[in-house]
Amino acid sequence: MSEFFSILEYSFFRNALAAAFLTSILSAMVGTYIVSRKIVFITGGVTHASFGGIGMAYFLGMSPLLGAAVFAVLSATGIEWMSQKGKVREDSAIAILWSLGMALGIIFVFMTPGYTPNLLSFLFGNILSVGRSELYIMLGFAIVVALVFVIYFRPVVQTAFDPEFSKIMGVPVLFFRYLMATIIALAIVVSIRSVGIILVLSLFTIPQITAMLFTRSFARIIPFAALWGITGSVLGLFSSYVFNIPSGAAIIFFLTLQFLLVKLVIVLRDSLLRGRNSAVGQH
Amino acid sequence: MKPLVKLENVTTGYHSEPVLKNVDLEVFTDDFVGVIGPNGGGKTTLVKVILGVLPVFSGKVSFPGQKPQMGYLPQISQIDKSFPITVRELVASGLKTQHPFWPSLGKKQKAQLSDMLEQARLTHLASRPIGELSGGQVQKAMLCRALISRPDLLILDEPNTFVDKVFEQDLYRWLQELKKEMAILLISHDIGTISPMVKTIACVNGNLHYHPSNQLTEDILKVYNCPVDIIAHGPVPHRVLKDH
Ligand SMILES: Nc1ncnc2c1ncn2[C@@H]1O[C@H](COP(=O)(O)OP(=O)(O)O)[C@@H](O)[C@H]1O
Ligand SMILES: [Mg+2]
Repeated sequence: MSEFFSILEYSFFRNALAAAFLTSILSAMVGTYIVSRKIVFITGGVTHASFGGIGMAYFLGMSPLLGAAVFAVLSATGIEWMSQKGKVREDSAIAILWSLGMALGIIFVFMTPGYTPNLLSFLFGNILSVGRSELYIMLGFAIVVALVFVIYFRPVVQTAFDPEFSKIMGVPVLFFRYLMATIIALAIVVSIRSVGIILVLSLFTIPQITAMLFTRSFARIIPFAALWGITGSVLGLFSSYVFNIPSGAAIIFFLTLQFLLVKLVIVLRDSLLRGRNSAVGQH
Repeated sequence: MKPLVKLENVTTGYHSEPVLKNVDLEVFTDDFVGVIGPNGGGKTTLVKVILGVLPVFSGKVSFPGQKPQMGYLPQISQIDKSFPITVRELVASGLKTQHPFWPSLGKKQKAQLSDMLEQARLTHLASRPIGELSGGQVQKAMLCRALISRPDLLILDEPNTFVDKVFEQDLYRWLQELKKEMAILLISHDIGTISPMVKTIACVNGNLHYHPSNQLTEDILKVYNCPVDIIAHGPVPHRVLKDH
């Protein structure tokens, strides 16, 4: 046990813990929006499109996360634009974006001379190698998003729930929809380092779905989701270190395990209650 | 008297595909118009072009006086009941904030909100997400969202489908009061229920035919599907806007 805590003395591990906290809080806010609006598939498309940006940045010798950010923001706002126009069938457009992003990424990485050691960490995430400067980016971005959610809670929820009515009420719907598309894109990119492209979607959905087992109010889902995100990612982080497995996979494993356990408890409780009620002859 | 809303020869639809053609309509402050017509006839399209959320392909939608405050109850099927929004948040979204980029509610608006919830007997449900409510309760909350800004024109899109009888009775009682204070456009595919309530009837099926009475004449029933030629020669006088 003491050995367990002695790893806290390593700065890399403290960084990883901080990254787990920050990505959990960030994804709790953004993911609640995603799950509420039922745009999980769109988010998946944006995530995978960003891989094209990573590959391209590698090829050009630039920062991979910058490349991912550009691709993610362009595809997220592009999808929002298409859905405003309503001309393209959204799901097929997203499927194209999804696979094209991956294809571009693979092609560029393949064409890049030399070995690309970090590629796997982008696909699977490596929270244990998150550096200080990346932490500052996460922190800064999480603060910005938190401010948006606090100040603009009403229009953000309202334009997600009923954009048409919001428009009638004079709410700048397009502004908030594009703002949220951009925030989703950047939140994904910032979280890629922790859980990787393949699994980042789970971070934005599983804690929220777990939280929604307890509450169906937007404002209350966020703190619950943050809590589940933190417990799951800290557990994942420790096992990633202890068992030397990819952090992303470990985190998602625990997030899912949590969900299943909570769901099981609720199902058992409900059937117990029902059993008692029918025994008493109520209902 | 100036009409609140005036549609002149309006053609509108979706993605440059016209759904409603050459529609003329005037709605005055004391009007209570029942909008009837078959499914897919364009009733919802009509209110959306009045509300300004659909483009006008040709013709003109105008507000001859001051632009009226409009209250809108969308068709229930347009609403995602599983969305995590509470009754209070839903009703509050019918309030206009002082500034679009400073969306917090003032003291007066908060009072308005609790008054509205109280009047509708929704106070005890205020913190509940709409997903936990019955269909009728959700409709009621949505009606409150439409009413909270004290509209000049209230537009209700099929408020009497898929809801419980209790809400329906409540609704009709409310409408009797509300019609004294605002113009009402009530959409329904069920002419029988609404005709005793409304003053006039607009029949929408690709076009619009206006009957300045609520009488269910043989002809109106016959032309429930609003074929153009029959209605143009019906015994009921038509309000023809083109010639004034
Ligand atoms: N968002 C939309 N995109 C394309 N076509 C639509 C859309 N909404 C309605 N329509 C079409 O417009 C026509 C009229 O629809 P609507 O106004 O909803 O009819 P109603 O309300 O009378 O049932 C229908 O043929 C419908 O298919
Ligand atoms: Mg309709």
